[in-house]
Amino acid sequence: MIYVNDLRKEFKKAIKEPGLKGSVKALFSPKNEIVKAVDGISFHVPKGEMLGFIGPNGAGKSTVIKMLTGILTPTSGTCEINGFIPQKDRQRYVKEIGVVFGQRTQLWWDLALRETYAVLKEIYDVPDKEYKKRMEFLNEVLELDEFISSPVRTLSLGQRMRADIAASLLHNPKVLFLDEPTIGLDVVVKDNIRNAIQKINAEEGTTVILTTHDLADIELLCDRIVMIDKGKKVFDGQLNDLRHEFGQMRDLQFELISKSDISKLNYKADLKLSDEDVKIENEKSSVSVRFDSEKVSVEDILSYTLSKVHVKDINLKDADIEEIIRRLYRQEVSIDEV
Amino acid sequence: MKFKKFIRTYKPFTRAGMLESVQYRANFFCFLIGEIMSCFIMFFVWKAVFLSSDSETFMGFTMEDMVVYLFITFLTGYLTYSDGTYAIAMEIRDGSIAMRMIKPCSFDMCFLFQELGNKIINVLFIFAPLVLGVEAYRWAITGECQFQIQHFLLYVISLVLAYLISFYFNVSYGFMAFYLKNLWGADILKEVIINFLSGATIPLAFMPEILADVLGFLPFSSLSYTPVMIYMGMYSGMEILSRILMQIFWLCFMVVLSKIIWNHAVKRLCSQEG
Repeated sequence: MIYVNDLRKEFKKAIKEPGLKGSVKALFSPKNEIVKAVDGISFHVPKGEMLGFIGPNGAGKSTVIKMLTGILTPTSGTCEINGFIPQKDRQRYVKEIGVVFGQRTQLWWDLALRETYAVLKEIYDVPDKEYKKRMEFLNEVLELDEFISSPVRTLSLGQRMRADIAASLLHNPKVLFLDEPTIGLDVVVKDNIRNAIQKINAEEGTTVILTTHDLADIELLCDRIVMIDKGKKVFDGQLNDLRHEFGQMRDLQFELISKSDISKLNYKADLKLSDEDVKIENEKSSVSVRFDSEKVSVEDILSYTLSKVHVKDINLKDADIEEIIRRLYRQEVSIDEV
Repeated sequence: MKFKKFIRTYKPFTRAGMLESVQYRANFFCFLIGEIMSCFIMFFVWKAVFLSSDSETFMGFTMEDMVVYLFITFLTGYLTYSDGTYAIAMEIRDGSIAMRMIKPCSFDMCFLFQELGNKIINVLFIFAPLVLGVEAYRWAITGECQFQIQHFLLYVISLVLAYLISFYFNVSYGFMAFYLKNLWGADILKEVIINFLSGATIPLAFMPEILADVLGFLPFSSLSYTPVMIYMGMYSGMEILSRILMQIFWLCFMVVLSKIIWNHAVKRLCSQEG
C-alpha cells in the first residue's frame, strides 16, 4: 500500500549573524548551510492500518507527510502510495488521498462552509447520490449541522478542525494523512474527532497516517507507531512494545510537610533497590521518586513513604510520549530490530 | 466531453470568486471609487496640458481623444488587472500553497477561474456604465454617435487576450516568490514599470518614436495600449490584425514561461513552518 524507501530531504538554510549588522551582511553575501530534515527513513504500511507518526518538534514528521502527499520533492529516496509516485502524477494521485494539516485549513476562508463542500464535490467529481450519503455520514460523526451555514472565518478552532476533517473525507480517500489533527482542541472535540477517524477506518478500511504529540491519540487510534527524531527513525512497532521497553518507569512525587523529613527517606537501602531501579531527586520540600514498576510496585513506594514521613500532596506521573522519546534519545539506541 | 469535465471542475472556482468579491461590499466600492477618482485626477492634469497648448491637438490627440483614452485605459487596466502575483506570493510566503497542491486540479486554472468570478462582478458593475459614459461624452462633444460595433467587438477580443497575458505574466512573476520568499518590494516595482511601459500612464504615441517602436514589440503594450487603440479606431484593419497576432504570441510566450518556472520552482519548494 505505502512503501517508503530511504527517504531524504535536505534544505538550504541561510546563516545570519545576529543583529542588524549580520542581517545587512547576509543581504549582500548570503551564506547557506544544509539541514537534513529527513535523513534516510524507510517503512511500509499495509492497507487499512492506522500508523502514528511521533517525535519531538522539528523531528521531521511534517516534512515526511509533505513528501508523502506530493507537496515536497524528496532530495533522494522513493515513496510509493497505491502504486503512485506522488510527485510524478500529482493530480491523479491526490484524488485518492485526504489530507488535513492541523495548523492550516483547506476551507474557503470567506465563504459559508457549505460552499466549500460544494466546490470540493465538483473538484473530486463526487456523484450527487454519493455526496448526499457522504455528507449525512460526516454530519452524524462530526456534527457539522450547527455551523454549516456560517462563514469559515467565524468558526471556532474545534469547529474548523471538524470541518477540515470532513472536507478531507468527502471523496472517500483510500489514504488519509492527518498532521496534528487534535492540536489545540478541548477534550470533547478530541474525542469527537478520534471517534470519527476510528469509524471511517473501520467502515471504509481507510489507511490512516497521523502525526501527533498527544499520547491519547496514539493509544486510542494507532495499531503501530513510527518514532523519528532528528530526521532518523528511532522506533517502529506496536505501542505496547514501546511501553514495555520504556514505559515501565513511573514518577511519584511527594510534597512533604516538613523539609527536615527528607533525610528519613532512604529508598535504596530500605527497599533493597539498585541505582538502575530507582532515582531520587529532592527539591526544597518535595521528593520525586522515579522507579521501575516491574521491580517495585507503586503500593510499596507509597506505603514506605507514608510510614516514614507526613505528606501534603502526592502526584503520580505516567511516562508521557515526550519523556519516552527523551529517554530513548538519551540512551541513543534504536530498537528497530526488536 | 473532456471540455465539459474541465468546465465542471473549475466552474465552482468562478462561483466562489464571485461570492468572495461581493463578500466585502464596502471594500469593493471604496476601491472602485478610489480608482475612478485617480482617473479624474489624470483627466484634470491633461485638461491643463491642453488648455496651455496653442494648438487644438497634442501629438495627434485632440482633447476628446485624450478623455476617451484616459477612461478606456482605466477600464482596460481595471479589467485586465490580475492579482496573481500578490496572491501567489502570499501563499508561498505563508506556506498555504501546500493546500492547493493536495487538490486534484491545475494550479494556474484554479487561480484563473477564481479570478474570472471576480471579473464577472467587475464587468457587471463598471463596464456598461463606463462605456456608456464615454460614448455619451463623445456624442455630446462631436454631435454625432462615434460608437462602432466592429471596433467594440475587436476591443473585447483584444481585452480578453490582454487579461490572459496579464494573468500569466503575474503568475510567472508570483512564482518568483519561490526564490525570493517575500515579493512585496518587487511587486511594487513591477506595477510602476508596467504602468509606464504599457502606455497606461502616457500614451505610447507621445513617446520618442524609437522608444515607442521598441515598446510596441514588448509584451507590455499588449496589456493595455493595443485594446485601447483598437477601441478608439486608431488602427487600420491590417494593424489590428498584426497587433492581435502579437498579443497571441505574447500569450503563448507567457503560458510557456509560467509552466517552465513552475516546474523548476516546485522542486525548490521548501516548507515554511515545519
